[in-house]
Amino acid sequence: MWKIVLVVLLTFTGASPAWAELNVVATLPWIGSLAKEIGQDKITVTTLVKPSQDPHLVEAKPSMILAGRKADILMYNGLDLEIGYLPLILESSRNPRIVPGQPGNLDCSRYAQVIEKSTSVDRSMGDVHPLGNPHYHFSPPNMLRVASGMTDVLAGLDRNNGDFYRENFKIFSRKLEQRLKDWQALNPRGKKFVAYHKLFEYLAAEFGLRIMAYVEPKPGIPPSAAHVEGLIDIMKSSNPAGILTTGYYGRKEAESLGGKTGVKVIILPADVGAMEGTEDWFAFMDKTLTSLP
Amino acid sequence: MRIRILSAAVCLAALMPSSVSRAGDDLHSRLDRLDAELRQQGEIIREQQKIIQALKEELNRQQTRELTQPKQETQAPAATAKATGFFGGNVLTNPNVGLVLDTFAYTSNLEDDELENRGIAGFTTSGLEPRQGFNLRAAELFIFAPVDPYFNLYANLPITEDGVELEEVYAVTTALPAGLQVKGGKFKSNFSRLDAQHPHVWDFYDIALPYRAFLGDEGLGGEKGVQLTCLPAWPVYTQFGVEVLQGENDLLFGADGASGPHAYSLFVKNSMDITDNSTLYFGPSVLFGKTRTTGIVDGEEFAGDSALYGLEGVWKWKPDSRQGFTLQSEYLYLDQHGDLTDETTALSDSLRRGQDGFYVQGMYQLGRWRFGARYDMLELFADRFELAGEEQELGETPWRASTALEFNLSEFTRLRFQFTHDRSGRDDRSNNEGVLQLLFGIGAHAAHSF
Repeated sequence: MWKIVLVVLLTFTGASPAWAELNVVATLPWIGSLAKEIGQDKITVTTLVKPSQDPHLVEAKPSMILAGRKADILMYNGLDLEIGYLPLILESSRNPRIVPGQPGNLDCSRYAQVIEKSTSVDRSMGDVHPLGNPHYHFSPPNMLRVASGMTDVLAGLDRNNGDFYRENFKIFSRKLEQRLKDWQALNPRGKKFVAYHKLFEYLAAEFGLRIMAYVEPKPGIPPSAAHVEGLIDIMKSSNPAGILTTGYYGRKEAESLGGKTGVKVIILPADVGAMEGTEDWFAFMDKTLTSLP
Repeated sequence: MRIRILSAAVCLAALMPSSVSRAGDDLHSRLDRLDAELRQQGEIIREQQKIIQALKEELNRQQTRELTQPKQETQAPAATAKATGFFGGNVLTNPNVGLVLDTFAYTSNLEDDELENRGIAGFTTSGLEPRQGFNLRAAELFIFAPVDPYFNLYANLPITEDGVELEEVYAVTTALPAGLQVKGGKFKSNFSRLDAQHPHVWDFYDIALPYRAFLGDEGLGGEKGVQLTCLPAWPVYTQFGVEVLQGENDLLFGADGASGPHAYSLFVKNSMDITDNSTLYFGPSVLFGKTRTTGIVDGEEFAGDSALYGLEGVWKWKPDSRQGFTLQSEYLYLDQHGDLTDETTALSDSLRRGQDGFYVQGMYQLGRWRFGARYDMLELFADRFELAGEEQELGETPWRASTALEFNLSEFTRLRFQFTHDRSGRDDRSNNEGVLQLLFGIGAHAAHSF
């Protein structure tokens, strides 16, 4: 009887009892997936952005702000990918646990080795990310680094389960090493591709692909007819193995280009859950690498 | 410590052999001692070799670990170098600065002087601002940055041809517990919806008719004061807010409506995701206070009490990033009573107003294009305007219909064409407006709220 009263009291006063799960809010699906690998049933994960959404163009919905309000930890991609909505969520959620400088504010890019850092950039160059290419979730070594950092932060916030998180990280890292061998065995090394957006640079760097041209003339700027003409000429002379794009945008442009040049259009998942059979990060990478010719 | 004393004693003994005993004994004992010392040193060397071996093994293990595991040690300095701040990763010692240029070309069937005198009888004496031809509304300068771990500061300075205005400058808390937030300084009130938005965020180039009728062309505008809001950790998004404002809006309050702060607002904002792709946002609000203004009736000053009630509703449907539809509507009701005094004769009469207005607008987005329509009208349900206890006949019901087509070249350039058929003049002269608006944004831009 007293136990029930206590539970009811705790629920209504908002106090978090010792057995409560850590409330993790992740901006992007891959971050949620990674957190789940480490935290398992000791955390609840809320993912703000849908896999079908372009992570560059997201509006801060009140439900996202409410999720931020209840978060113990906010995990995000960083490198200004979420600049259009994350500052608003941080401020409007009125949650001192997740503001920058707190352990509950986890910028995953802190742990990543970032490529394409621009030294001089302005907006005439399109939607360039000056801090570096933010799409590092295609890089297994970076995922290992991020997962390791995530483990430290989770263990720091929830000391009782620290060993549990570290054990899960070990399992994750062993699994990743194993799968990395499988992925490398697929050997897409040296093949040439045309990509719609600068989304696959880490994939290219890790697995030795060559991205020779982009359908977008500048990041975030849709192609003009003249640009497409030029691209067709390049593609006819160098014969790439495929046009890489994602489901959420650039598909129509890529398909029309594929039709004109006879080059195969390859739809890759942009994030975990973006296509069927990509329910976690491993499945997402499997799908990505097996989709390549 | 003990070893050191012992060896000191041994040394002393070795230095003073003759003083201790006979020569033969002395030699033997010295040899014994040297033997023991040698054995001891051998022991030490073996111990040290063991430690060296263990260290070597440890080093090997670390090197293999480094090969398979993330190099956190080498990551640490990089991590501190690019730690992301409140508004992104590139805030150094300077605050974020942005500029929005808001400019438009205007054409109408009315002459400039007709536009200037086109007030709405019973609501406002102010006419329309735009003139035939090119117009420059403002270059809005935005400056914002975190102050310290406790506050963010925002400033908004619209630069017009008449000079620089201090439209907004306020600090917002970031570290209060229990979902509380305090805003203080000069800011746009969160009473209703369009008020809190900057003009460049509006879906049409001008503000909706009820706002123009009750608050003026720019809405309530920046008001000095304090705001307290609370977002409880409930299952549904519910935000409560209360504001104490100086009350300087020319039309609704007037700077000398009373001494001290004389405007107050209360509001509640609710939101829920109806489906994965659609969100509903709605809430009531009220703004009330003391009024002293000359803006309602020509040549007469009104003094009394005002309460403006608002109801806002927004429904957004966004199936993917390239497509979306927004339906937005607001209803405003003004309850005002007091005395209307003729400025030349000083004769006064009682005035009682119970008037309302509403607008509804829809915007459809497809890729870089947006298309929308708006209908706004006054005196939907209430048209009470009683002077000295007698209802006044003010003329036809004011209404407008607008349509807008937007092309967004990028996130930072917007081209808008708008056509409005305006029947708010209460006579049979309609104002047919055509507007071509250009908006450019450079520099940092704070994220827009829902």
